[in-house]
Amino acid sequence: MSDGLLLDDVSVYYGAASILDRLRLEVPPGQRVSLLGASGSGKSTLLRLVAGLLKPSRGSLSWGGQPIQGASLERGLVFQDYSLFPWLSMVDNVALAVGKARPQADKAERREGAGHFLRQVGLEQALGKFPFELSGGMQQRGAIARLLALGSPLLLMDEPFGALDPVNRARLQDLLVEICEIARPRKTLVFVTHDVDEALYLGDRVIMLGSAPGRIIADLAVPPPRRRDRRTLFESTTFPRLREQIAAQLHADTLQRLVA
Amino acid sequence: MSEETVFSTETEALPFELERTPPRADGNGWTRCWAYRDAVLVWAGLLLAWSLLSALVSQGPNPLLPSPAATAQALWESLPELWRGTVASLLILVPGFALATVLGIVTGLWVGSSTRLQRALFPVARVAAPVPPTVYIPYAIAILPTFRLSAIFVVFIGAFWPIFQNAAAGAHALEARHRDSARILGLRGWEYQRQVVFPAALPHIFSGMAVGLGFAFILLTVAELFGANAGLGRFVQYYADFADYPRMVAGIVYTGLVTYLAMTLLDRVRQRALFWLR
Repeated sequence: MSDGLLLDDVSVYYGAASILDRLRLEVPPGQRVSLLGASGSGKSTLLRLVAGLLKPSRGSLSWGGQPIQGASLERGLVFQDYSLFPWLSMVDNVALAVGKARPQADKAERREGAGHFLRQVGLEQALGKFPFELSGGMQQRGAIARLLALGSPLLLMDEPFGALDPVNRARLQDLLVEICEIARPRKTLVFVTHDVDEALYLGDRVIMLGSAPGRIIADLAVPPPRRRDRRTLFESTTFPRLREQIAAQLHADTLQRLVA
Repeated sequence: MSEETVFSTETEALPFELERTPPRADGNGWTRCWAYRDAVLVWAGLLLAWSLLSALVSQGPNPLLPSPAATAQALWESLPELWRGTVASLLILVPGFALATVLGIVTGLWVGSSTRLQRALFPVARVAAPVPPTVYIPYAIAILPTFRLSAIFVVFIGAFWPIFQNAAAGAHALEARHRDSARILGLRGWEYQRQVVFPAALPHIFSGMAVGLGFAFILLTVAELFGANAGLGRFVQYYADFADYPRMVAGIVYTGLVTYLAMTLLDRVRQRALFWLR
C-alpha cells in the first residue's frame, strides 16, 4: 500500500463504451501531477474517481493507505464549471467549507476564515457579492478559494484556470504552487489541463492520457526545482524539449484516433 | 392529471403575469400609463358592457344583474361585514395553507431526494393527488369536531399536493454539479437538505405554492358554502339565498380582490427569495 494516491488496474465502462482502461498510477504524497490529454481521454472521469464521486467498474483506488469509498474532506475537487452555490454570497459559499474544515469555529470565525481565502485569490472586493454578479473567472477563483478552505491534503483540479485571463491565470498558478509547497506536509496535486505550458509549469510530473479508451501513454518527470521562476523555466533548454515531446505524443494520439 | 404530474417541472411564470421589466421603466408616469393603455381600454370596455347589460335588465329594488354603481354601493355598505368575513376566512386559510406549505416542502424534498422513497411513495401519490379535494368536504365536516377544523383540513389537502409534488420535482431535478459540490463539501442529511436541496428547489416550490394557494381559495369558499356562519364564501351564499344580488356581486368582486392580493403578495415574496436566479 502506498501513502499517496494509488490506482490499481482501474477501468470505467459506460455500457459498451470504455472510458478508462486498466489504469495503474501511483502518486507519492507531496507530488504535483499534471494530467494532459485530448477531450474524451477520461481526465475528468479519473478525477471524479479519485474524489469518490464515481466508483470504478473494475480495480481499486486508495489514498493514504485507505481505500477510496465516497467523497471525503481529504480529497477536495474543483470542477471545470463554476460550481459555487448561486443562492449564497461568496463569503457564505467559502464559509461552508471553512465550517467543514474547522467544525468548532462559530459563524463569525467561519466568515472571517472565508474572507482570508477569498483575499488569497484576489477577491477582496467581492466578499458580499453573489456569483451571478461576477464574471466567470471571478466565480472560478471563488471555487478555488472554497477548495483551499477545505484544507484537503490532496487537491484535485479539473481545468480550473481555463476561463481566466492570462494575468489572473499566472497569478493563480503561482498561488497554487505556493500553497502546495508551504503546507506541512506538502499538498499532493492532481491537475487536469489542456495547456502544455501550464502542465509543465505546475507539475513535477506530467502524465498524458490517450483517448478511446483512456489510458496512460506517457509519464514524464519535470526536472527540479519545485518552485520555478517562470522566466528561467521557459528559457531553459529542457523545457522546449519536453514541450516538443508532449506535443508530438498528443499529436500521435490524435492521429491514431482519426485512423482508428 | 397525467402520470407525468409528479415529475412536473416548475412553470416559469405565474399565469397572466406581466413581463418582468415593465416597459420604459425610466419613463415618467404618463409614458408608463401609455404602455398599459390596452389593458386600461379592456377594463373600461368591460365596465361599459356591464353597465349596458344591467341597463337592459330591470333595476328594481332587487335587480337580477345589479349595475356597477349599485354593486359599488352594496360593497361600501357591506365593508364591515366583509371585513369580518375576511378575518373568519383567513383564520381557516392561513393555518391550512401554512401547514400544507411546511409539510409539503419537508416531505416533498425528503421524498424527491431519495430514489428509494420515490419508488415507494410516488405510486401512492399518483393515485391520491388527483382526487378532487372537494370530495373530502362532507366527510371532513362529518367527522371533525368543529367546522373550522374541517375547513382547515380541506384547505390543507388542496394545497398540500401541488406543493409536495413541486418540492419533490425540485429536489429530484437538483443539478448534478450542486450535488457533487455538496458531496465534496461533506454536506449530509439535514445540512444538505437545508443548504443545498431546499434553495435549489425554491423555484419549483414557489410554483407549487402559487397553485396551492389557488386551490386553497377555491376549497375555502366551497367549504364555507357547507356550514360556515361567517366568511367570504358564506357571505356570497347568504345574500344569494336572500336574492340580494347587489351584495352578492359585491361579495364576488371583494373575494376576487382578496385572492388577487394574496397571489400578488406570494409573488413578491417569490421575487425576493429568488433574486439569485437570472
